[in-house]
Amino acid sequence: MKIAVLVKQVPDTETKIVINANKNGIDESNIKYIVSPYDEYAIEEAIKIGGETTVISMGPDRCIESIRTALAMGIQKAIHIDTQGKSYDSYQTAAALAKVIKDGGFDLVLTGKQGIDYDNGQVTQMAAELSGASQVMVIDKLTINGDKAKVERRIAGGSKEVYESGFPLFLGCEKGLNTPRYASLPGIMKAKSKPIEKKSADELLGGATALVEFTNFELPPERAAGKRIEGEPPQQAAQLVKLLREEAKVI
Amino acid sequence: MATYKVDERDVHFNIFEYLNIKELTAYDKYKDQNEELYKMILNEGLKFALSEFDPLYVAGDREECHMKDGVVIVPKGYKEAYAKFAENGFVGIDTPPTYGGQGLPCMINTATMEFFTGSNVPLLLYAGLSRGVANILEAFGSPELCQAFCANLYNGKWSGTMCLTEPQAGSAVGDIRTSAKKNADGTYTITGNKLFITGGDQNLTENIIHTVLARVEGDAPGTKGISLFLVPKIWVKPDGTLGERNDVNCVNVEHKMGIKASATCTLNFGEEGKCRGFLIGEQSRGMKMMFQMMNEARLMCGVQGEALAATAYENALAYAKERIQGANTAIINYPNVRRELALCKAWVEGMRGLLYLTGKSIDLAHGHPDDTIKEKAKNRVELLTPICKAYCSDVGFKITEMALQIYGGYGYVSEYPIEQYMRDVKIASIYEGANGIQALDLMGRKLASKAGQLFREFYEDLTQFVASQEGNTELKNEISALKKAIDTVAQVAMKIAEWGMSGEKTKPMLSANYFLELTGHTTLAYILLDQARVAQAAISNGSKDSFYRNKIRTARFFVAHVLPMVQMRAKNILSEDLSSIEMEF
Ligand SMILES: Cc1cc2nc3c(=O)[nH]c(=O)nc-3n(C[C@H](O)[C@H](O)[C@H](O)COP(=O)(O)OP(=O)(O)OC[C@H]3O[C@@H](n4cnc5c(N)ncnc54)[C@H](O)[C@@H]3O)c2cc1C
Repeated sequence: MKIAVLVKQVPDTETKIVINANKNGIDESNIKYIVSPYDEYAIEEAIKIGGETTVISMGPDRCIESIRTALAMGIQKAIHIDTQGKSYDSYQTAAALAKVIKDGGFDLVLTGKQGIDYDNGQVTQMAAELSGASQVMVIDKLTINGDKAKVERRIAGGSKEVYESGFPLFLGCEKGLNTPRYASLPGIMKAKSKPIEKKSADELLGGATALVEFTNFELPPERAAGKRIEGEPPQQAAQLVKLLREEAKVI
Repeated sequence: MATYKVDERDVHFNIFEYLNIKELTAYDKYKDQNEELYKMILNEGLKFALSEFDPLYVAGDREECHMKDGVVIVPKGYKEAYAKFAENGFVGIDTPPTYGGQGLPCMINTATMEFFTGSNVPLLLYAGLSRGVANILEAFGSPELCQAFCANLYNGKWSGTMCLTEPQAGSAVGDIRTSAKKNADGTYTITGNKLFITGGDQNLTENIIHTVLARVEGDAPGTKGISLFLVPKIWVKPDGTLGERNDVNCVNVEHKMGIKASATCTLNFGEEGKCRGFLIGEQSRGMKMMFQMMNEARLMCGVQGEALAATAYENALAYAKERIQGANTAIINYPNVRRELALCKAWVEGMRGLLYLTGKSIDLAHGHPDDTIKEKAKNRVELLTPICKAYCSDVGFKITEMALQIYGGYGYVSEYPIEQYMRDVKIASIYEGANGIQALDLMGRKLASKAGQLFREFYEDLTQFVASQEGNTELKNEISALKKAIDTVAQVAMKIAEWGMSGEKTKPMLSANYFLELTGHTTLAYILLDQARVAQAAISNGSKDSFYRNKIRTARFFVAHVLPMVQMRAKNILSEDLSSIEMEF
């Protein structure tokens, strides 16, 4: 089986985000980048399934670091879709990825359920659609049996949906699917000399244009100080209702 | 709740900017490595520390090690975490790749050890000793011993210990009574009792490989007659599988102030006369070999001091920003709290610089193509080792105490991690040679070594740095304060040499701790000013990063608030006051 893992490099959740001067993005200096955490489940699953595995990442040169992490964990091959300083929206990203995936003849494409930076959660579905494959999102169990994959996803109320699908298939992975391994030191040493195939995003796009434009970025308002309600439970409840009605005006 | 915190930016600043690790990749030894690789390793190391070591830290302290049916049981989760740690290749980061080391620079090892030590020092100790034993075998052991033991020490199946201390022989290692007698098959029969042995017994690994100092019957008394032996807990058969139990027994595990998840054991060797071991290297050369292991361990004691101080400081800083007292004011806005935080910050950054710089000197001593540079780097490591060990462990303790003070009453209760940091760091000033012994080593051995060459080279480098900063107007006062401190160090060193020549013994011993302290302050001031120089260059290249501005402030603060202690300690020494000797206690 040929498996592709789509990996996005995102700012570490601990990083302090500063908005750039044009307010159309973030200031990228002094940001620590990591592999988007949900993508780690995708990487782990691909390694567990085995076969021929390839990591694909679209982004500037710095995302090679994330590609190397995937290689160090145990993915075999790598493709870097270089954005060469330009930014693309989810649709364009999906279009470029779909092209590489179709050309590469991948059977299974594993991704995180969403990137933790913009949280759009669109690329997997769009890329699947554009490459004529099936897709299931937010999965936390996968079993492959010959030419069929059985996947599970949790839905509201504690129940789950079970799907069976043929290939090609795109799956958006959720926490709980597996426990991602660490990139071991020997793995990291070996990964440093593995070749990374480079492709140009512009060329892959074939003229697809952006559907979304970012016009303004703002930091969320600072959280106001909380209020502590004292007293016995009945008084606390009464006080809470009063506050919800009179101050928060939500009931 | 995660407790471990570290200023990753400062770690990277040290490695990639101040000490420019890239230089190393020009040498044969590191030519297949690059900065991208080092970054990835630092990232993975920190990630591992945060996700595997830190979560066990507080729980392990509460659970402690205990004995059950003659075996020491470590706290829950430690066994699994240790196995994962070794599996990921962290045991021998900077040791040769032959048997499972990774062959990376010591600088990278020092930084990752800061993460592991800071997030769970008791757990890290098991690994530190395993690495030490493997490394000592690689340096001095026969190929057969290496073949039989090294790989399993690196891969986490087995672990190591270092057995020096006996009830009557602590600082005075020469007084050990453990004895060895050669058997017909070339092995030795070992008999004796060892005390306070870290990792002496545990249920982490399936076998334990002890290195034991003992005296072959008939050999000279004192340190001269000591040999080093390898004593496995379970005998290893020629095919590598485990055989019968050796006659080594753990009879007690200590209850103690800190590092409670690290087993501190009393071991009896040869209760039934059946304990066997192998001689490592040559007979009667045990101290020399053990010193190699101890020098590394001493550097790691320094890292323990710095790493725990660093996380204590970062925790206190976060707390000070949140804790409101009076007029809706976070306590970080009170000048005395700011001053305390600044002391913590300046000392931590200075110590980090010192330890990583020593790491780099070790790399140069191993990997630089030029023999004179190699030699000089080796001398520098020799000189700085007791300072790393004693200064960083003493100051580290002081900082955890200061960080606790910033928490007020909340620091004293065990809901917050601060009191544990303070308890866990204290041991670093005691084991691996108490700090008083380190001070004697610096003054007695290192200062006099090679007719004063180690010290002279160091003095020249610092003087040269001062000269190179003549045009630095922004830090003019600080540079001249450093110059004064360097001169004071030299003046005191002269006095010590004078005492030495006139046969005066008491005064040097009275002064040793002070001398180590004042040399430490001066070295840190030099390092922080050198870092400020790098920051100035970044600023003049257009960087707006406030990190660099703060580096300059940090150096300035240290020079104003800590460096003057050099003059005070010099006064203490030069007073030649003997009243503590004359005093009737
Ligand atoms: C938790 C823990 C773990 C340990 N792990 C190990 C281990 O793995 N292996 C091992 O072999 N040992 C280990 N030790 C033992 C440790 O190395 C010794 O405790 C240490 O060397 C000091 O020896 P001592 O306790 O006998 O103190 P002493 O030697 O009695 O020293 C007491 C004080 O007197 C001072 N002093 C002693 N002699 C002199 C002198 N000549 N000049 C000036 N001052 C002097 C010392 O500085 C010290 O302050 C461990 C100890 C502890 C508590």
